[in-house]
Parts: sequence; structure tokens; C-alpha cells
Amino acid sequence: MTYPRIIILFGVAISIMIFGISTMLYSRTSLSDQNSSKLDTVGGHTPGYPILQTTGDVLDPTSFVINPKTAVVEPMKYLREFNYGRISTSSNGTVIRDFTLIASDRQTKEVSPGVFYNVWTFNGTIPGPTIRATEGDVIRITLINNGTKFHSIHFHGIHPSEMDGVFEGIAPGGKFTYEFTAQPFGVFPYHCHMQPLEEHITHGLYGVFIVDPKQGRPQADEMVMLMNGYDTDFDTENNFYTVNGIPFYYMHHPIQIEKNRLIRIYLVNMLEFDPLNNFHLHANMFDFYKTGTKLIPDEYTDIVTMNQAERGILEFSYKYPGKYMFHAHKTEFAEKGWTGLFLVKEGTSQSVNENLNVTSIRNITNYSTSDFNKTTSLVPTGGVN
Amino acid sequence: MEREEGKIRSTHRISKRTILFGVVPFIVIGAMIVLLLNSPGILFQSSIKPLPEISIEKVEFSDDTIVAFVRNTGPSEITIAQADVNDRIYPAAIEPGQTLARLADAKVIIPFVWNTGEPYGIGITTDDGTRFEKTVNSAAPAPRPTLGQASTFALIGTYVGVIPVMMGIVWYPFIRRLSPNKYNFFLSLTAGLLVFLGIDALLESNEIAVNALAPAFNAQILIIMVAIVTFISLLYVSQRLIQRASKRSKPDTEYKSGYSSHSEPDSELSDIRSSTTSFQQQLLIRPIAISMMIAIGIGLHNFGEGLAIGAAVLLGEVALSSFLVLGFTLHNTTEGLAIVAPMAKSRRIPVTKLMIMGLIAGGPTIIGAWIGGFLYSPIATVIFLSIGAGAIFQVVYSIGSWMYQTNRGRGLLNNPWIIIGFAFGMLIMYLTGLLV
Repeated sequence: MTYPRIIILFGVAISIMIFGISTMLYSRTSLSDQNSSKLDTVGGHTPGYPILQTTGDVLDPTSFVINPKTAVVEPMKYLREFNYGRISTSSNGTVIRDFTLIASDRQTKEVSPGVFYNVWTFNGTIPGPTIRATEGDVIRITLINNGTKFHSIHFHGIHPSEMDGVFEGIAPGGKFTYEFTAQPFGVFPYHCHMQPLEEHITHGLYGVFIVDPKQGRPQADEMVMLMNGYDTDFDTENNFYTVNGIPFYYMHHPIQIEKNRLIRIYLVNMLEFDPLNNFHLHANMFDFYKTGTKLIPDEYTDIVTMNQAERGILEFSYKYPGKYMFHAHKTEFAEKGWTGLFLVKEGTSQSVNENLNVTSIRNITNYSTSDFNKTTSLVPTGGVN
Repeated sequence: MEREEGKIRSTHRISKRTILFGVVPFIVIGAMIVLLLNSPGILFQSSIKPLPEISIEKVEFSDDTIVAFVRNTGPSEITIAQADVNDRIYPAAIEPGQTLARLADAKVIIPFVWNTGEPYGIGITTDDGTRFEKTVNSAAPAPRPTLGQASTFALIGTYVGVIPVMMGIVWYPFIRRLSPNKYNFFLSLTAGLLVFLGIDALLESNEIAVNALAPAFNAQILIIMVAIVTFISLLYVSQRLIQRASKRSKPDTEYKSGYSSHSEPDSELSDIRSSTTSFQQQLLIRPIAISMMIAIGIGLHNFGEGLAIGAAVLLGEVALSSFLVLGFTLHNTTEGLAIVAPMAKSRRIPVTKLMIMGLIAGGPTIIGAWIGGFLYSPIATVIFLSIGAGAIFQVVYSIGSWMYQTNRGRGLLNNPWIIIGFAFGMLIMYLTGLLV
């Protein structure tokens, strides 16, 4: 074996080089495992799924509480917050309700835990405030445009052309008062109608407008639910789906309701890009009033499917205490945030009442399933807010 | 005369003024850096955040977890907010942390019960809502560095690398008995094989650079750069190798040249003189050196091939079938031929020496499969493939110049055997490559 030494040296050099580069490139992975000062737990929400311990950070939008300071909305507050406006009466006795909405388009807020998005809002939240009136009331909504673009409000319902918010935009810094009579009763969306329409809607300029029938509806624990989505990377596909603005929020903050108590949900779909959205209730059935324009339910079901701007009223009560899911039965939406929980408790009313923003609800404990018809006590109209 | 001398001297002496001219650019550039870093608004008034960019370099599937290796390849720091599987949001852990400095990497671990053989898209969403996705065509358990898995890879490496190269080397006695024309045919056939392998390595690394590496790495430039540097440094090394070898083996040869080289053995001058004058020794020694260089070049190539095979198993991109292994085996047999062809007309080479060359060429496949299978990194794969390409082109150059010298007076492209051999070599590679 008379190998020239240089050949052997060269071979050795190549081997060292190969191993050197390999070690250099892979050493960091093992280094990162060493600083095990703290251990966090991930997973375990789903039966059969492993629970991991990590030295790093946890990314868990299904159980993280979003910071209310940066969040685009507080879903629990929004749920039962109905704005009845500043009330006055005209000479002929008609109730006049004045509202002020401020449009803005410059803020960046948290729309899902850790995800920040340039939101366009009415009064700083997505969805915008829920406006509520009684059929026949005169409503006056002053829109102040605090944004950088033209904005408007287009209400669904019956009103004159110049109050439709389509052909007249309000310039940045401008102001306009929409005035019309609330008619007919039902549940409606409102949204900005400036071009490009898709852009103004998908950024968040929408909310719910409820018109109560003159005779009112049976007393109930009322809530509003608006289904939407966020396309945070502008590829005309939603990255997140929600009910009331924050994905998965009601999973870690279940909506507390009482056993046998009538629940009424004003449900509006404002989802952009996807043609359909739906609402499915677990372990129960509900009366569905399409568009809320009739007092007789259209359907007794556990799922309702809606296109954009379609809406309705759901009425149900739970027979058994426990946790119940409600979510889009388009499972993609459910798994990207449109999922929540009802926590049904025995009807002791005290703890629940603290959470409720709804006033003038009495005799909660006395309310039973036998009252589950539309002829008994009514929600008084007006006088609130 | 005196003035001229002074002039010459002054150019060599460094005056204070010269130092000043040397230092001033650094001071100015330093000042600019300080200014720009401290007041970024001075040039660019824009408040728009640069677009984030993340590369998901690899995805590993193991017991009820999916692990994505991500790197921040954007221009600024990034915070990762959420992870998803098939566009469905899942809880995940990120190590070492969710905020990544430029070019820093992290491991995203998603507890997920996945199904073998199904495609998965792993998504990562940054804090501005941008989602990045990497699709895996077929989920397969990541190889664990166990003894069993290591020996499986060793076996694959042996089939794909060692055995075929050895088979090719067995042709050595056959090649020794060839006429000069046929010998030229086989040499150029070798060159053809190698050119094919070199181009293949470049294309392969380019594919990885484009698909798996972020533009921030400038990986395509890196390929060319690494290949060129490898080429010129191996050229230098082989030049030195031939000089040393011809000097050392002088007493063994009967072709004693009239030139003495007994002066200072380490002097550069004598090296150059002996290398330029003892052409006949070169004729004898150079083939072995070329063969050794070919063995090393092919070894590097096979290392890259091993990396690719290991990585393909790891990434679930390929189910290693016996057909695939057979294809690689046939494809690589020609590599053994490439090693022995230049030595056909030199003195007999001991079997052990041939065996060592075979191991140098084939063995790295096993090491490559281990590294690729257990510790895949696309950037490392690109670098190794480029080194392999540079090494192979250097070998082609050596064979070319060797054939040019042995065919003196006739020229390379005047010999039809050489043209046909070269074309045939590439064709063989192409056809056997169809099997892979």
C-alpha cells in the first residue's frame, strides 16, 4: 500500500469537512432543548389527543383568552348588549331614537389570539353596536366618518332612497344623519356600502339592527349572534371564522344560560367570500323565524343555513344542565373558530343575572317549559337606554 | 536612477497619508451605518412594515404529533401566532419561542393524530395574519435514529452505492485489454457519465433551492459558487497530488528520466520543474491520481444521493421500493466503470487499492442516507450536492486534459470513438435514470 500521503490527507480533510458542516447545521436543534427552565402544556382538548410538555411558547387560539385591550370586540359584552338610543318623543307621540356611529379605518386590532389586522369599524368594534328599536319608531343615526376613506351605512329594511347609504358617501371627516321609520319588525344587518363593497365589508363595517314588533315578543334571555370571518392575508379566503368577532371565544368563555329558560338569539350572517354559513345547536331543537318578520316560526330544527346578509331569530330552551356546543356545521368554519359552548345551569338566576345586560326580565325562576308559547309576558318596548 | 529608486521605495513604504486614505472609507461607511440604524426615517419615510416571510423547511410525523421546522427568512423579526393542519386551527407548541429573529428557526409541535399515507398541509400564521403552508404528499413516520433504522439505511446505501461501484470496478481487467480506440471510447464514456451526474447534481440542488429554501438564502448563487470553488480547489489539489506522486514513485519506475530531482524536495521550484519535465512519469502516475479523484468526486456525488434518499424517506416523499433501489443500482454501476477506465493502461493496480477506491466512491451513500434520514437540512443538501457537482466537473476536466495529452497531435474532437463514447455515456445515464 504505497498511497501518496496527500491522497489520504485529502480524504481525511473531506470527511472532516462533511462532518463539520453537518454538525454545524444540526447542533442548534439540540441546543434549543437545553433551556428547560419552564414547562407549559399543550393539547388535551380533544379526547384521544396527546398532551405535550414544552419549553417553548404555546400557540392555542382555542383556549387562549384574548387581551381585551387589543381585541377587536369583547364577545361576552357584545352578546347581550342592545342599544336603544337616546330617546325623545315627537309632538305626535312618535318615539324618536338617536344613535351616533363613528366609522374608522386606521386601527389595527387583535382578531384572533396573536393575530393583528387592520380593522374598519363602527364604534371601534367588529361587529358594530347592535341597534334596537320598535316598529314605527323614528330612528336617527348620525354617522361621523373618522376614517381615511368614504364610508356609509346601508340598512336593510324599508326606507327612502336617500337614506339607503349607497349613492351618497360620507367623506373623511364628514357627518350625515340617516333618518327613517323602523319598519317592518324583524332582524336586519347594516353595513357600509361604499366601493369596493367586498373590501368595506370584509374589513368589518357591519352590525345588527333589530326592530321589535309593537306587541313585543315573549320574555326571554336574549342575545345577538353575528357570524363573520377574517381574510387576514388578502387571498379572498377567510383565515378565521367567528361568531361575535373572536374565534373560539365562547369555547373558553361558555355562554351561561339557565335550564328551562327561553333563549332568543338574533342571528345574522355577514360572512364574506364563502357562499354559505350555518348555525347548528347541540342536543336541542329550536324554533326558527326566518328574517324575524313573522311571529309564527317557519321551522323546528337544529340547523339553519344562510347566505351573506340572511338572518333570523332562534328560540329554544335546554331541558338538561351541562355543556352544549353550537357551531357552524360547515366543519371547516367550526375548526377555524366558529365554535362555542352553552353552559346550562340549574335555574338559580343569581349568578346568571350578573352576567346579563338585559334589563326588565323578571320571574326567571318561575319561567317553565309550559310557558314556551308566545302568548305570555312580553318584553316591554322602549324605556331602555 | 536615485529618484527612481526612491519612487519604488516610496510605493512600498506606507505613509500616514496612505493610511488615512485606507481608513477614511471605513469611517464614512461606519458613520452611515450608525446614522441609518439610529434614525431609519432619514431616508425612508414609509411606515409600512416589511412583508413577513417564513420557510417551513421540513415536516416530520411521529407518534400523534406533527413537527414543522420553520425559519424566519423575511427582512425583520417575526412573531408566530397560530398553527394549523389542513387549514384547521390546532393548539401547538413552538420551541424555543414564538418570536423569531431574522433567519432564526423554531420547531412547531402540533399534537395531531395523523393517518399514514395521506397528504397534509401544515400552516403557520404570523401575527399580521399571513399564512404560510407546506404540503406533504404522503405522511410517513419519521425515521428514528435507532439501530434497526440505521442498519436499514446502511443496507440501502450498500445496495445503491457500494455494490454497484464495486461491480463496475470488476470490469478493470476487461478494460486493460482494450485497444487504444476502445480505451478512448471508454474514457470518453466515463466523461459522458460524469457530465450527466454533474448536471444532475446541479439540477437537483437547484430544485431543492427553489422548493425548500427561501430566497433570502440566495441558494441558487450558492450552488454555482460552491461548485466553482470546489472545482478550482480540487484542480489545485490534484495538480499537487500528481506532482508529489510522480516524485515519490520515481524509484519504482523503469521510465527513468534524464532529469534529476534530487535537489530540495520541498522547494516549489523543483516541484514545478519535475512536473513540467517528467511527462513520461505523469503518463504512468496520473491515471491513478485521476482515478482517485474520480473516486472522491463520485463519493461526494453519492453522499448527495444518500442524503436525497434518506431525506425522501424522512419527508414521506417516496416509499422506498425494491424497484427504486434496483434503478439506483443499475444507474450507479457505471460509476465503478468511471473509476477504473483511466487506469486501464497503467501498471497493474492491487485489488486492495481498487477496493479502497470503491469504498471511497460508494461508502458515502450510507453516511449520506444516515444524515439525510435522521437530520435532513435542505441547505446542507444543496451545499453537498454542489460540492459533488464541482468535484465531478473537475474530474471531467482531468479526464479531458489526460485524453488530450495521450492523443497528442490528433485532438479530442477529431476522434469519432471519443465523440461516440461521450454521447453514449450520457445516454446510458439517461436510460438507467428512467428507472429511478
